[in-house]
Amino acid sequence: MKELLINHKKYGFGDFLRIPFTVCPVYAGIKTLNQILVSVLPSLQVLATAAFIDTALDIFAGKAGQSAITAPLLCLIAIVAYNNLNWQLMSYINLKMAMRLEFAYRTGIVEKRAALEYRHVEDNDTWELVNRVCGDPVGKLTGGFDNILGAANIVLRVGSLLVILMAQVWWAGLAIVAISIPLFRLAIKGGQQIYEENKEAEKHRRRADYLKSVLQGRENVEERTLFGYTEKVNRQWLKKYEAARKISVGVTARYFVRLKGSSLITVLLSLLIISVLLFPLTKGLITPGMFMGLITSTLNLIQMMSWELSDTMNKIAQNLEYCKDLTAFCALSETPGALDLPGAGIPFESLEFRQVSFRYPGTDKDILKDFNLRLECGRHYAFVGVNGAGKTTLTKLLTGLYDNYEGEILLDGRELRTFRQADLKALFSVVYQDFARYQISLDDNIALGNVLRKDPAKIREAAEAMGLGQTIAGLPRGMETPLGKIKEQGVDLSGGQWQRLAIARALYNPAAVQILDEPTAALDPVAESGIYEMFGKIIAGKSTIFITHRLGAARLADEIIVVDGGKVAEKGNHEELLSQKGIYASMYEAQRSWYQ
Amino acid sequence: MKRQNRTKKERTMAGAFGRLLPVMLKATPFLFMASMVLSVLHGVSFGVETMMQQRFFDRAVDAAGGKIGIGQAFLALAFLGIANVACQVLNGVANFLPDVVDGKAGAHLSMAIQRKISRLDPAVFEDTEKLDDINKAEQGKDNAFWYVTDVLTLLTFYIPYFAFMGWYLFSLKPILVSAIVIIFLPTALAQLIRAKAFSHLEDASAPVRREYEYYETCMAGREYFKETRILGSFLYFKRLYQETLVCLQRLKFKATMKSNLFELSMRAITVAGYCTILWMLYDALLKQEVTVGAFAAVFNSIGMLYALMEEIICRHIGEMTANAGSIRNYLNFLAMEERTGQRPDAPGWGDVVLENVSFSYPAGKKDDGTPQPPHYAVKNVSLTLRKGETLAVVGENGSGKSTLIRLIAGLYLPKEGTVRKNGVDTRQLTMDALTCQTSAVFQKFQRYQMTLAENIVISDPGAESGKTRLDSVCAMAGTEPGAFPQSYDTMLSREFEGIDLSGGQWQRVAIARGFFRGHDLIILDEPTAAIDPYEETLIYNRFAEIAREKSAVIVTHRLGSVKLADRILVMKDGEAVQIGTHDELIAQEGEYKRLYEAQEQWYKS
Repeated sequence: MKELLINHKKYGFGDFLRIPFTVCPVYAGIKTLNQILVSVLPSLQVLATAAFIDTALDIFAGKAGQSAITAPLLCLIAIVAYNNLNWQLMSYINLKMAMRLEFAYRTGIVEKRAALEYRHVEDNDTWELVNRVCGDPVGKLTGGFDNILGAANIVLRVGSLLVILMAQVWWAGLAIVAISIPLFRLAIKGGQQIYEENKEAEKHRRRADYLKSVLQGRENVEERTLFGYTEKVNRQWLKKYEAARKISVGVTARYFVRLKGSSLITVLLSLLIISVLLFPLTKGLITPGMFMGLITSTLNLIQMMSWELSDTMNKIAQNLEYCKDLTAFCALSETPGALDLPGAGIPFESLEFRQVSFRYPGTDKDILKDFNLRLECGRHYAFVGVNGAGKTTLTKLLTGLYDNYEGEILLDGRELRTFRQADLKALFSVVYQDFARYQISLDDNIALGNVLRKDPAKIREAAEAMGLGQTIAGLPRGMETPLGKIKEQGVDLSGGQWQRLAIARALYNPAAVQILDEPTAALDPVAESGIYEMFGKIIAGKSTIFITHRLGAARLADEIIVVDGGKVAEKGNHEELLSQKGIYASMYEAQRSWYQ
Repeated sequence: MKRQNRTKKERTMAGAFGRLLPVMLKATPFLFMASMVLSVLHGVSFGVETMMQQRFFDRAVDAAGGKIGIGQAFLALAFLGIANVACQVLNGVANFLPDVVDGKAGAHLSMAIQRKISRLDPAVFEDTEKLDDINKAEQGKDNAFWYVTDVLTLLTFYIPYFAFMGWYLFSLKPILVSAIVIIFLPTALAQLIRAKAFSHLEDASAPVRREYEYYETCMAGREYFKETRILGSFLYFKRLYQETLVCLQRLKFKATMKSNLFELSMRAITVAGYCTILWMLYDALLKQEVTVGAFAAVFNSIGMLYALMEEIICRHIGEMTANAGSIRNYLNFLAMEERTGQRPDAPGWGDVVLENVSFSYPAGKKDDGTPQPPHYAVKNVSLTLRKGETLAVVGENGSGKSTLIRLIAGLYLPKEGTVRKNGVDTRQLTMDALTCQTSAVFQKFQRYQMTLAENIVISDPGAESGKTRLDSVCAMAGTEPGAFPQSYDTMLSREFEGIDLSGGQWQRVAIARGFFRGHDLIILDEPTAAIDPYEETLIYNRFAEIAREKSAVIVTHRLGSVKLADRILVMKDGEAVQIGTHDELIAQEGEYKRLYEAQEQWYKS
């Protein structure tokens, strides 16, 4: 299903039709038919009104009996009834269609998003694009679909009225077409210009909105109160607000002038047509009923030329933008196998970095430069170094989040990039500094460590090992208690409890290499020591990489690797490194000095 | 209960009027009045158009029958044209003006909200209910504004239109006035039932929708991306995602079908009403009580009558009810108490003395609605921070450290006991007097999306922002402006075409900010958490130098760093359990020793 809907291609207006017609052809078809019917109703109403009035006049004149009125009257009633009821009838179809699309299209979009290469996630511009495309995708899709139907509706409605008009006075219809085309173009052009100017106003508005959040937000109440900058920032805000407002007022004013300008032209045009129609009327060439019907419909055109046309045009402009976004989104590269389950674990002897250099896409700073390191299975490593030295980057390379490095990372001699995602997933487990707080049940939170097999006994064991036993006993539904605020019965944990839970998840994870990336940075000293001790329990029997800038914990490792300037600066165990009197020794001294 | 609700609602609505009307009038008196007058004309112009249509139709038919000359028909057409043009122009202007009035008055109202927020007691931000009022004040202001505009439109546009049409129909044939009643009754009835019976339907699916959207975040949200991928948990969440989607769709379908059926039956009534009116017109036409022109013109306007009636009742009244909640938030916000200190003069530099100080955060309510007993974050603390002293505060998470420093800074006022700055009770001081010459680096320091210079000088809005002073605070904090692409003018935000900083860099900016503010008391709440230990040492050493001349309070988890303090205060469960120098405290069996040893063990050779 996914391949059918979302693929790498150029998206255009046709796709707003293609996708609904592929997913739910019947509903899309009914909707289209209904729209066609609705658009010819005004013309039918002209004819029915004409027949009704003419028959009534005939009845006065004694040319027809009372019963002659029944047919046109019923026609009028039928038209009124359909006009009033169709929207409600269609809402059933709309709902069904949205439901189908939600399943097929939205899931497709989410899968695409989840499979993206990780670099897109860290790139703010790309991520903004992703958010634009993925926010209410079904709404946008059906919006585009309705937009097309709406435009077709206008064309059909105008067209069918023109046909009736031309049947009476052939050149009047032509005159309308001749004058409508420039109006139409004006409306399109206006829409584009407004879009451009709004962008300019948007820049100021975004700044104003940001300053407003500084002035009103909760998170900076302390600094705001203590520093007392409200008046100063308020003035900056007003400046930006006014700048945005003035542009907006200008844009809106011009928009209205253009909108109403085109309506006025239409009014004059209709007056012209009506006055021309007066002559055949007085000569008896058209009936009074037809005359009134035609006038009514020309006057209705004015309303349509005003709001409806410009509204449809604006929406078309927006939808074209969305097509561009969607095309760009679908062109984003994916990581093959990104969504797969972890595979069966592969045994390995060594993991080796050879001359690895790496810089983040779009930057020119080498985070790693000719990085060489050999890690042995079953040993425990600590990566230490100052912020920005590249410690966390190493884990991103190992876990396959980035693979655009130079040099080689070899797993038992085989390049890491040649492994499937499933293998990497089976191989590594990571507890990140900003670990995920999944708002699902507590036991599922741990069970996610091994999605292939859920073993309740082991899950409990992992939880107990991380000292969560008491926490669980205090929860209303024990291990099954939903965590967080998403479920109504959910219970939120404290930061420390979440942290233990994240590590319990790693404990339950069968991966051969356990990576802990500063998961204790936010803890107080006693809790921190507790975690370190428990960490010892993970260590047994597995390879571990512990990333830290607190050197006390690094001593637990067999080998400490000091990363500096994108290279391995020093390595060895704690004592060896101290005796080298290098970076490690000075960092350690700096920290230790506080305890002496 | 019901009665109470109604009066509450009435008060809300009246309150909105009382608050906003004067502001709107003051912001743009001329435009405001103009938009009112034009709105009336706009309403009437719709009616006049119908009338002119009838005149023209009649003249045209008469002309066709040869009863009058064609010139008269043209004259009637000219009037119809004028009515049409006027109607279009008024429509444009009447839609445009409220936007302008809104924009201008909105600026005044937003600035007032912002000023008011700055005068609130910072502790109210910890009270969920009041926080809700604060957070929704801005939105409530907008809604209140549109509410007032809506009511004004009702009075100046819709009522004149319907009054005019009523008069016109009456003048054609008195019974025709009942058309308006026929249109009004079912529409109003439908809205009434809709509001009573269907307003809670959306609520039933809201929690499921939240869950559904959450699973989507778990699959592909930024904060879950790495972890979900490496765990291979995509399929797990996809299953949950689709299960909740099925459930959500079932709920939504049920709710929509129910309301749909109702709407459909209401529509059927509308159609019946339409037919009734049609029949009345037809009857009048047959009896020759109205002209053919009148028949056609009125028939043409039935659609408009219905559309406008629905606009009033469904859109405007429906929105008013829906927005009443946030308007109430806004009014509550306006009624909130501000800090009441009277003495505007700064107390001057001296000892800060806490006497039996207790503080509790506003407590929520229990499930049964009774207020929870207060939980004291700080209990009965007595302490003197001597002039020029450096005091370190240590303790576990949740021991009350952060609350204590807020009391010392004057951000919070004690619930019990007193805090005196240089002998003056903090309760008596205005906010400005209280915070004057006090600076701080908070644990949750702000990352202002502004330039580097603005990020620093924001702490002291009245101060000169000379480069020398900036240079000196940056040097103290370890920030090198030279390393930024445009030095001090570098915008620190990707969103506003600037650069991103790392956590450590931000922290140094925050420290520079704290130092920039003129102070004789400075508070540092874990200022170095994101900085690596080597640099942390440097910053602490520099800080010790600066603090020598001032009063200072440092909160820290890194117990080693407390040694540069003159005294150490140990907090536990909101109480001050120990105070003294490092040597004194380490000699005692107590909380300090326990904390210290827990950390020190990792650094023993």
